[in-house]
Amino acid sequence: MKRDYPQQNYTFFNGASSISAAAGSGSGSSGAGFSDLRSEVTGKSKMWDEEQDAGVDELLAVLGYKVKSSDMADVAQKIEHLEGVLGNDDGLSQLASDSVHYNPSDLSSWLESMICELNPTVQPLDDSFVNGVTPTGTTAVTSLAVDSSSGFVDDLQAIPGNAIYPPTKKQKPSSPSSGASSSYQPNPIVLVDSQENGIRLVHTLMACAEAVQQDDLKVAETLVKQAGILAVSQAGAMRKVATYFAEALARRIYRLCHKTPQDSPAFQDLLQMHFYETCPYLKFAHFTANQAILEAFAGKKRVHVIDFSMKQGMQWPALMQALALRPGGPPTFRLTGIGPPSGDNTDHLQEVGWKLAQLADTIHVEFEYRGFLAESLADLEPAMLDLREGEVVAVNSVFELHQLLARPGAVEKVLSAVKEMKPEILTVVEQEANHNGPVFLERFTESLHYYSTLFDSLESSGNGGGGVDGGGIAAASNQDKIMSEVYLGKQICNVVACEGPDRVERHQTLTQWKTRFESSGFEAVHLGSNAYKQASMLLALFAGGDGYRVEENNGCLMLGWHTRPLITTSAWKLR
Amino acid sequence: MLQIVDINGDLERETKKLEQNFCINDHVDLLIEVLQRLDGRSLAAAACVCRQWCSIVRNDSLWEHLCFGNVSPPPSIGIRSVVLALGGYRRLYMVCVRPVASQLKRRRIDGGESEVVRRVWNRHEVELSLSLFCVEYYERLLGGGGVVGGESRATSLKFLCKAVNVSI
Repeated sequence: MKRDYPQQNYTFFNGASSISAAAGSGSGSSGAGFSDLRSEVTGKSKMWDEEQDAGVDELLAVLGYKVKSSDMADVAQKIEHLEGVLGNDDGLSQLASDSVHYNPSDLSSWLESMICELNPTVQPLDDSFVNGVTPTGTTAVTSLAVDSSSGFVDDLQAIPGNAIYPPTKKQKPSSPSSGASSSYQPNPIVLVDSQENGIRLVHTLMACAEAVQQDDLKVAETLVKQAGILAVSQAGAMRKVATYFAEALARRIYRLCHKTPQDSPAFQDLLQMHFYETCPYLKFAHFTANQAILEAFAGKKRVHVIDFSMKQGMQWPALMQALALRPGGPPTFRLTGIGPPSGDNTDHLQEVGWKLAQLADTIHVEFEYRGFLAESLADLEPAMLDLREGEVVAVNSVFELHQLLARPGAVEKVLSAVKEMKPEILTVVEQEANHNGPVFLERFTESLHYYSTLFDSLESSGNGGGGVDGGGIAAASNQDKIMSEVYLGKQICNVVACEGPDRVERHQTLTQWKTRFESSGFEAVHLGSNAYKQASMLLALFAGGDGYRVEENNGCLMLGWHTRPLITTSAWKLR
Repeated sequence: MLQIVDINGDLERETKKLEQNFCINDHVDLLIEVLQRLDGRSLAAAACVCRQWCSIVRNDSLWEHLCFGNVSPPPSIGIRSVVLALGGYRRLYMVCVRPVASQLKRRRIDGGESEVVRRVWNRHEVELSLSLFCVEYYERLLGGGGVVGGESRATSLKFLCKAVNVSI
């Protein structure tokens, strides 16, 4: 017998279809995005309310099935149940074709008989599941997951408030799916509806953050353990984000926020290189900043770039090549790189300089290099930099300025030092998020959204993008992706777990930076259409490029994933 | 009757003699003209035909034509020295131009436009390819004993390439 019913449901059962589709995607799951979860839950609850009203369902009546609307919930569950059971085992489809035909007017009992035939161990669903059960329902679910420590569940029930068990009126629409999923177990190991768990996971993380905010550490501890376990039941981006956030919260609770020995600048550089390769954010940053610098250097014969974020110098080959090929020939190019000292006594800045010099020699650009080791940018004095007459200066900073906000007065000092350098242009690339608010809970929420979006985009770049041409472009290797995730994970850890001068990932939005720059005496330079076109083209090359968006905002370029801007390139000059 | 047949026979023999005397390999300029019109894959196949063809195809000017022959406006003169310094046009084609073109073409097909085998490049695409080529060169420099260490193959262009591991 063909599986006609589930397909017809798609068009006729408004309420049920969204649930069955959701349950189907819940178990399959390749990263339903974080924001999708929330909208689907609220969407579901609206549709359910409508269906309950009429007498006999009209749409089905047209087909010849008499189903009372009050039974619709029941029927929907059974269909979903059936779909799940059929979907889980390929051998069952053959069994389905051998079954006896039932009277199609009696949809409800047909479904029940199907289910009983296919899966004789399952009890037929009863009404208690429909009419909004559920602390017991969800406890059953939780204890499936957490076999050994039932102590957790007791702790959870002791927690007052709506964090773990949202009020009953919301439970009603979601309970059919949780009911359905907990009642059938095609494989004994299988957990529960992961979408339901996803929502619970978010609630748990938020509740934990709230507990930390209120200094309620015992509750926080329980919640963070719970979050860790729930995180494992998810798949893809959601799982990774949740794991990192849970770990960061745990570090905050146990006050483990010192820097680990692994955090040498060399290791950070390595992680950043992998991040550079996996996703377009850094490339976008470099290309757009270079375009701005190139335009500022138009027609100048001697140029000097001061780079606050030297790292491996990946930004400069492209600029040097563009300068070499510009009409009128290349200028004399001087580069001053500033970076933190590496722990192991090697002068990595000098090595980078050598390589750049080699490149410059190859493409016939006159090149001079100087490296400065500085623990913090605020230690820099313009006098050290050997600024010469007749030289045009550009200052570049990629993801460096926000770290200065950890110490009061540092960023003002650096900006006044920059002003003394009299740059033709100051290019700044920063994360587009407010992770520096005074209230911990707000920072937590903001960063949860931000990093979820970021991990979503990483996930898609790993899978070769939006199904372009099947065999597509396999972008990053697994190792690169993992390293990029570690890179982001360290940022998450810093935002959530650390405080005071240790918390260096103090991201701010473009508006906030704008205010700061303008009050320091800078004004915005519009990044032209060339930068925009180049950026768009660059993004088109990335697998998953459909998700990335370049936006122009008051002359600054923002790169985002779908609707959420993630990093911003802006250019400034002295007023 | 016999005479007419003989004349035809003569004609045939004449044509056959002419055909046997003409060998494309003797006329390298003609060969190059023909090869200039091929796409990358065919050029690579042509390189496998014989030693002479191989040496002709390895000549960078053919690949230069393939990369930038269809650029409007025509690229500036300085580009050649830069590209040659960074590894040559054949490498540029293999590492940057081909993947970039096929990625962009794929995107356009998705948009519903018809495919053109030899597209006309615009200035931005040329600049982008050159920049990526330069970055790749630099990465190879870094990879040979730099701080990053480990891999000797440049990896920043991995996002352009398919998963097949081809050692250059």
